[in-house]
Amino acid sequence: MSMLHASHANDASSAGTTAPPTASLMRWVIIATLPGIIAMTYCFGLGVLSNIVLAAALGVLFESGVLYLRKRPIAPALNDSSALLTGVLLGVSLPPASPWWLIGVGMIAAVVVAKQLYGGLGHNPFNPAMVGYALLLVSFPTYMTLWAPPQPLISDTLWAQIMGTLPIANIDALSGATPLDAFKQKAQGMPAFQFWASDPLPDGTLEAWRLISLAWLAGGVLLLCKRIVSWHIPTAMLGSLLIMATLFYMADADGFASPVFHLLTGATLFGAFFIATDPVSAATSRRGKLLYGAGIGFLIIVIRNLGGYPDAVAFAVLLMNLCVPLIDLYTVPNPMGHPKRILGAPR
Amino acid sequence: MTLSFDFPGGIYPPERKVRSSQAPLQRATLPEQVSLPLRQHSGRPAVACVNPGDSVQVGSLIAKRDGLISANIHASISGTVTHVSGHDIQIESDGQDTWDTLAPLSWRDTDARTLLARLDESGVVGLGGAGFPTQVKTRVIVRHAIDTLIVNAAECEPYITADDITLQRYPDDVLEGAQLIASLCGAKQIIIGIEDNKPEAIAALEQAITRSQLASVTLTVIPTRYPSGSEKLLIKTLLNRTVPSQGLPADIGVLCHNPGTLLAALNAVRAGQPLVERIVTLTGDAIARPGNYWVRLGTSMETLLAQVGLDTDRLSGVVQGGPMMGETLDTLQRPVVKTTNCLIAATQAELPPGPQESPCIRCGACESVCPVQLLPQQLHWYARAQDDDKLARYHLFDCIECGACSYVCPSHIPLVEDYREAKSRLRHQQIETAKAEHAKHRFEFRQARLAREEAEKQARRHARLAQTKSPTSNNRADATAQPASTAMPSAAPQTDLRSLRIAQSAAKAAVRKAEKVLAREAQQAPHESHEDLETQLATARENLKVADLQLAQARENTQASTEESP
Repeated sequence: MSMLHASHANDASSAGTTAPPTASLMRWVIIATLPGIIAMTYCFGLGVLSNIVLAAALGVLFESGVLYLRKRPIAPALNDSSALLTGVLLGVSLPPASPWWLIGVGMIAAVVVAKQLYGGLGHNPFNPAMVGYALLLVSFPTYMTLWAPPQPLISDTLWAQIMGTLPIANIDALSGATPLDAFKQKAQGMPAFQFWASDPLPDGTLEAWRLISLAWLAGGVLLLCKRIVSWHIPTAMLGSLLIMATLFYMADADGFASPVFHLLTGATLFGAFFIATDPVSAATSRRGKLLYGAGIGFLIIVIRNLGGYPDAVAFAVLLMNLCVPLIDLYTVPNPMGHPKRILGAPR
Repeated sequence: MTLSFDFPGGIYPPERKVRSSQAPLQRATLPEQVSLPLRQHSGRPAVACVNPGDSVQVGSLIAKRDGLISANIHASISGTVTHVSGHDIQIESDGQDTWDTLAPLSWRDTDARTLLARLDESGVVGLGGAGFPTQVKTRVIVRHAIDTLIVNAAECEPYITADDITLQRYPDDVLEGAQLIASLCGAKQIIIGIEDNKPEAIAALEQAITRSQLASVTLTVIPTRYPSGSEKLLIKTLLNRTVPSQGLPADIGVLCHNPGTLLAALNAVRAGQPLVERIVTLTGDAIARPGNYWVRLGTSMETLLAQVGLDTDRLSGVVQGGPMMGETLDTLQRPVVKTTNCLIAATQAELPPGPQESPCIRCGACESVCPVQLLPQQLHWYARAQDDDKLARYHLFDCIECGACSYVCPSHIPLVEDYREAKSRLRHQQIETAKAEHAKHRFEFRQARLAREEAEKQARRHARLAQTKSPTSNNRADATAQPASTAMPSAAPQTDLRSLRIAQSAAKAAVRKAEKVLAREAQQAPHESHEDLETQLATARENLKVADLQLAQARENTQASTEESP
């Protein structure tokens, strides 16, 4: 049996060839979200941070609560930081300065239902943060589609928004549309250049989303360099997303947004590096990961262009989570010494 | 140097070879006493052929091989046998170290049978770890054509440098040993596969090859990556041939030997010296004088480690073999045996105990390092769930237990331990089912034999009856009693006869089928026992006899009744 382990093998010859242990793996993912969080806070104000802090705190709270009820050791489970990470991921997905109860409902769905009721870390078939997000999106569409336009760090209504005491009409007045939303609402048959010329978005919105997307990309590159995520899922997802978007764009450049637009707005890059790469709910083999990632990219464009929702990362990821057992079954690698198969279930 | 091919996966663990490879090869001091286990090889234990009180010399045969896969064991010191048990033989030294060697042979002028007999007599087994008897391995040419002999000098496990030192010190002898084995198995080419982290051994080998002027020897330097020295992976790397699943290298015309084995084989032939000592790497931070040592077999590990300055205060555990595939010893009261290639006396800091296991997060790190392309984490789930069906489907038995998956697992799951447990459980199950199957066949045979005896008895009785009846067949008094017995068969003689005929032809077909299956199996695996199939055939034959007898009897009855009825 192996007496050596990568986490102890700190000799010069072997350093940096393998990923760090699970707990620090989760922490590295949290660290990699920092560029994105900073960019979002810079563009949308402290409401982003309030989301994250609330969600992460509730995540840890709910996790310990369920573990206590399940009579499982609490310390090791909290030590792996996975509940914290779920909180961070859901927090950045919600509109800034979401009311506390919205975050609470989302985190119950994420940590209690999607994760712990399925058996805890490693056993959840669906991405917890995305379950929480999807539940909120279908249950509270008003709150979930209210993204404030870019604004100063501290807004006057921040506290009232978080406490949920601000009337919805006021929030509506404060908020603007996201670029994806705006494009979705574009009048039928209006040429794209005309739409953009009409200045449909509050000032700086498009730039803000680009900046944020690039910040997520920076975090993603950090994850790749630290070997925390493999290149397979992000590459396959972004590749198929670009191909699909290009096909639609080539078919009707006025009706559908350009591939670059799809890449740099919404949650595309965040999803590619931080959501789709969740190892627990993703496919396991390398070929499986490629298929899984490509499926997500495909679904994102299909839902964005043809479906009813402006963004689709959560639904695409959840739908592909559903396919994981099937993908896994058909992408079992050929062990050495067995006849070659391209795809197919092991016999 | 020739082209080398790639195998998937693999890891780069810390090598930690420098300390033991820098010290020169030395001899360990002669032990005061040795304890030689009867089983130091794969296969069956040897059978002791000495008694307590016998005096022996170095190289005296003390235990004979038992069965095909087994090996002789020789005294490793001269002195007196003090203890003989079912497990081991102990010898007390007389301090003389007198040798009892066999006659030296020149292998180029000696026929293959004599050479094989010499390897057999000398108890040479694979010194790399498995301990498979060398002469048996060489005899595979009976069934497989061998074209290539591979010298497995990759030595990819961390710490171990025994082969490295062997090649540095005895390059010519290893090369000659390789030629000896190659000539025995008919291999046309010899390929030495060595990792590029052993420059001294590579230089020594290059010089030896130049000196010997052999065209058939190639030295292939492969990149250092664990587990390149695993037999199947090395063959893939050197020849780009793939050993079939559950198959042997011989199936694709290859034999693999470790340099130490080749040296031992050459010594057995050229010097007539049986396998009584080997080179062992003694290393680890708890040892003052690490290095490689010639050690007599049977030397206690405790005395051996004490000799090289074991610091018991700093010692946290002793590992036999490498840190990846070896085992942690619970006691040092164990002897060095033919397969002991390395002892690591590790400190706490060097090989710390595994941290707390956390749940699998399906990250797939294990899958990307698995050199045989399995899905370690799927196997982990199925092994824990004891889902044997799935374990077979995901090819548990193709796992080479290299430990690369355990090494990289971020959740510190002892994956290989799970697999070993599952494998031994499945093997045990297999044995149990075979036993049950065997018992079932024996029972069926007994039933068939009893039925046949009963039918024969019936037939004899019938014949007797017919005999006593025939002279008095016209006797009316007897005929009045007859209808009672004939009435029954005459009611349905035709249908009864037909069903018996069908039963007889079915029994005939069963015999034919059993014969065919047995013949096919016997051809495919001529050396294995086919007792179960033979029993099945015997059962089918008994059943046929019963059917024959019953049919014959029924025919007679119908004839008798048709004769009587007019």
